[in-house]
Amino acid sequence: MRTWKAAKWPVYHVFVAALAFLMLYPVLWMLFSSFKESRTIFVTANRLIPDSWIWSNYAAGWAGTAGYPFWHYIGNSMVIVVISTIGAVLSSSLIAFGFGRLKFRGRGLWFALMMMTLMLPHDVVLVPQYIIFTKLGWLNTILPIVVPTFFGMPFFIFLMVQFIRTIPKELDEAATIDGCGKFRLYLQIIMPLIKSSLATAAIFSFYWRWEDLLGPVLYLNSPEKYTVSMALKMFLDSESASNWGAMFAMSIVSLVPVVMVFFIFQKQIVQGMSTSGLKG
Amino acid sequence: MRSELTGYAFISPFIIGFIAFTLIPMFVSLYMSFTSYNLFTAPEWIGLENFKKMFFGDPKYWNSVRVTLLYVFIGVPLRLVFALFVAMILNTGSRMVGTYRTLYYLPSIIGGSVAVSIMWRNIFSNEGVINHVLTIIGIGPVSWFGDPDAALVMLISLSIWQFGSSMLIFLAGLKNISPEMYEAASVDGANPVRKFFRITLPLLSPIILFNLIMQTISAFMTFVPAYIISKGEGGPMEGTMLYSLYLFRQAFMFNNMGYASAMAWVMLLIVSLLTAVLFLTSRFWVFYENEGGK
Amino acid sequence: MRKKGKWIVLALLLAMATACSSGGGKGGSSADGQTTLRIAWWGSDTRHEYTQKVIDLYMEKNPNVKVDVEYASFDDYWKKLAPQAAANQLPDIVQMDISYISQYAKNGQLEDLAPYAGKQINLGDVSENVISTGVVNGKQYGIPSGVNVLGFHYDPATLKKAGIDSLPEEMTWDTYEKTALQAAANKIYFDSGVAPDIFFHYYLRTKGQSLYNADGTALGYEDDALFVDFFGRMARLIEKGAAPSPDLTNQTKGIIEESELVKGKGIGIWQWSNQFVALQQVANRPLEIAPMPGPDMEKGLYMQPSMYWAVTSNSKHKEEAAKFIDFWVNDVEANKLIKGERGVPISGKIKEAIASELSEPTRQVFDFVAAMEPKASPMSPPPPVGSPEVIASLTDIVEELNFGKITAEQAAKTFRDSANAVLAKNK
Repeated sequence: MRTWKAAKWPVYHVFVAALAFLMLYPVLWMLFSSFKESRTIFVTANRLIPDSWIWSNYAAGWAGTAGYPFWHYIGNSMVIVVISTIGAVLSSSLIAFGFGRLKFRGRGLWFALMMMTLMLPHDVVLVPQYIIFTKLGWLNTILPIVVPTFFGMPFFIFLMVQFIRTIPKELDEAATIDGCGKFRLYLQIIMPLIKSSLATAAIFSFYWRWEDLLGPVLYLNSPEKYTVSMALKMFLDSESASNWGAMFAMSIVSLVPVVMVFFIFQKQIVQGMSTSGLKG
Repeated sequence: MRSELTGYAFISPFIIGFIAFTLIPMFVSLYMSFTSYNLFTAPEWIGLENFKKMFFGDPKYWNSVRVTLLYVFIGVPLRLVFALFVAMILNTGSRMVGTYRTLYYLPSIIGGSVAVSIMWRNIFSNEGVINHVLTIIGIGPVSWFGDPDAALVMLISLSIWQFGSSMLIFLAGLKNISPEMYEAASVDGANPVRKFFRITLPLLSPIILFNLIMQTISAFMTFVPAYIISKGEGGPMEGTMLYSLYLFRQAFMFNNMGYASAMAWVMLLIVSLLTAVLFLTSRFWVFYENEGGK
Repeated sequence: MRKKGKWIVLALLLAMATACSSGGGKGGSSADGQTTLRIAWWGSDTRHEYTQKVIDLYMEKNPNVKVDVEYASFDDYWKKLAPQAAANQLPDIVQMDISYISQYAKNGQLEDLAPYAGKQINLGDVSENVISTGVVNGKQYGIPSGVNVLGFHYDPATLKKAGIDSLPEEMTWDTYEKTALQAAANKIYFDSGVAPDIFFHYYLRTKGQSLYNADGTALGYEDDALFVDFFGRMARLIEKGAAPSPDLTNQTKGIIEESELVKGKGIGIWQWSNQFVALQQVANRPLEIAPMPGPDMEKGLYMQPSMYWAVTSNSKHKEEAAKFIDFWVNDVEANKLIKGERGVPISGKIKEAIASELSEPTRQVFDFVAAMEPKASPMSPPPPVGSPEVIASLTDIVEELNFGKITAEQAAKTFRDSANAVLAKNK
């Protein structure tokens, strides 16, 4: 028993680290490929470690593509991503509170409608939506991409509803007796308790917008407004020689903001209930 | 009455957005599903022709249904079990755990980029790492790109590999279970297995329901992995021709927008039925704290 | 409820109708006589960069015109163009692909450029054979940005390694097969298979037929034995190891770096002449170009536009747009920047004027195209509406054949049925 206790942690770490390596092999493949010479990437695809390490892919990639330096695209993406993440998290939490905590007629119907919007393949609403945005004069702006996020994202709404429903109702009742209005109940009691799901939503929203290709491709016309996801595709072309090395290098670079956001917000997830005050 | 208004006030952003951006497009696509529409000229009403063709005259459609159902019913459970498993082992107090979490999440954020498609095709290629390992343990090599079923397995493994989002949600759910529950159970002398089934699973059930429903929906909608692995062709021999990929090809490669719309609404019907069933069964296995534990 | 439903349908139809009828949005002439043109193309980094330079040059020479550019990769480009067409928001000038031009032309998205020829667009130095490739339904919907011709791009060193001293002179299908099998015997792939629609079409042309009939309402050949003969031979070559198996091509398709030629395991690739330069760059060793197999190569061979420039019908500045196309076709300075990247220039004068500026592989391409031009016959009409679906079906069926799942006879019949079902819609 005692020896097992002592051995438990090393065994745990070995196991978790080994599994992590397995999961990460493809990521490492990409990372190491970014240090290989473009023409050797495919020849040496089965060897992880480059024969000689070169940095020129990063220099070439960072210098950019199609007339703009790479940081220009990062800046464009950042604006879209930050605005839409704020929009998505704020609006979704409001709506989720309505669905998860308040009783009103038609709640089930609206919830069902909301779920339905997730189930209709996007391809077939794309053209009518495009026409609506045309009518609004929003083409070649980021508005068609960011504005809809301020009206709630069904995925996040449902997620938060599920979290809100795990919170005991007695809490609300206590708060209501205290003379707390619904909005204060939402802001001061419920929000802190579902911090972990807010953080989760923020992480997802950030990443989904970051990698989104369809929205920018459809709605952004001027190259100066292009995003990272579009820039990455421009390194490649099936009709001419592609700069694979630069593409892999910039793929790695474009992961950095996403990983950073994840690292920051995952702490919120970890804290969860234990520090959120439910105990006391 | 007041409470009605408050309720509507809170969900009003959704209602406004829905009416402004989604409602009309949805109706238009429903209308298009009864027409022959090529995106350029006015839609032409053809009644139920699209549906007739779909059900009785298009073997490729049925193939895409078959592939998608296999993808959903094999992929989703595996992905969820794996995600829950990893979330459990990462739900400890160890100091390294923040790093591990990030590492395990990494595969999910390299997403659908071109880099993933190149990488994935290389790993599964005839001389790739997977076949190397399979040869050593005496199973392989497998022709991942020569056999439609093997290609589907490849596609499913890609989806399991990108399990990070479900894992993260499970993790958030696990963190929301108050430690006192476990402490109380420990006092009662419950072993870990018992704790898992008596405490973790019931308290996590709303989150499991969420993941189950969302993963099922998104599995039905899966497009990017199939597109990048097969270069948009759904091969080999239609083995990776998921429903959404076939729909996309009809809509934007063949410009049969009417037919694609009909496909989309059938999809909506199937998925919403399935979701309704999941919701209905949930009352037997999902435990909500605020409803007195039924 | 019923009433409401009807009302909504009515409202949205109205919304669609008005959306479809209202003309293109912004981009007009402002008070100071400045015209803004929008132009869109697909391509890669290199193309974006030099095209931007050509446009800068144009704006320098035409200070009254401002050109806004839009570009994307090939598949994103078409995703972008489709809703733009549906919303009447197409740019003034669009780059068109041969497989899409009928689709856009027949549905009224493109402008007939014949009235501009000789006025805004000077086509005096362009051969009639080439101009006519932009004709759909008797109207000039596109001006080729350059031309291509089919050929065999190969590595002479690998050829030697395979025990073959040189390719047969005046190659025929039979000598091709014999040579390919000789390479296979030495464990080297002769080629990487062929793009089914393009090369079958070529084969049919050598027999005096074509893949689609003249009005695009059915297949253009009656005898399935032609299908069996052509694809049967291709499948045989795969089976005997003269071309890689389809599972291998599935892994490597679309990536030049992974082609058997570049890896030194294959002798050559059958493809369009403008693809030679990139192949040569990646392989980084001398490559050569050989003509297509015969007999009757002259009947089969044709000059194909590598892409077109087209003016959209919702453009408000069609004359200005036409002038830009003229600049592309006839300006020497511009073509010194373009360097034949969009295919060999269509103007004879330009070809001469930029000859000295070309890199070695580009010169090889120009020489090959020049050698083939007198031998080529007029191109068949561009593929009809529905051709992407026909090509997809052909690709699927040929894949099954190459995997050995069906016989060539079965494949021929399945293809005929499915293709004719699609093309019948054009009647």
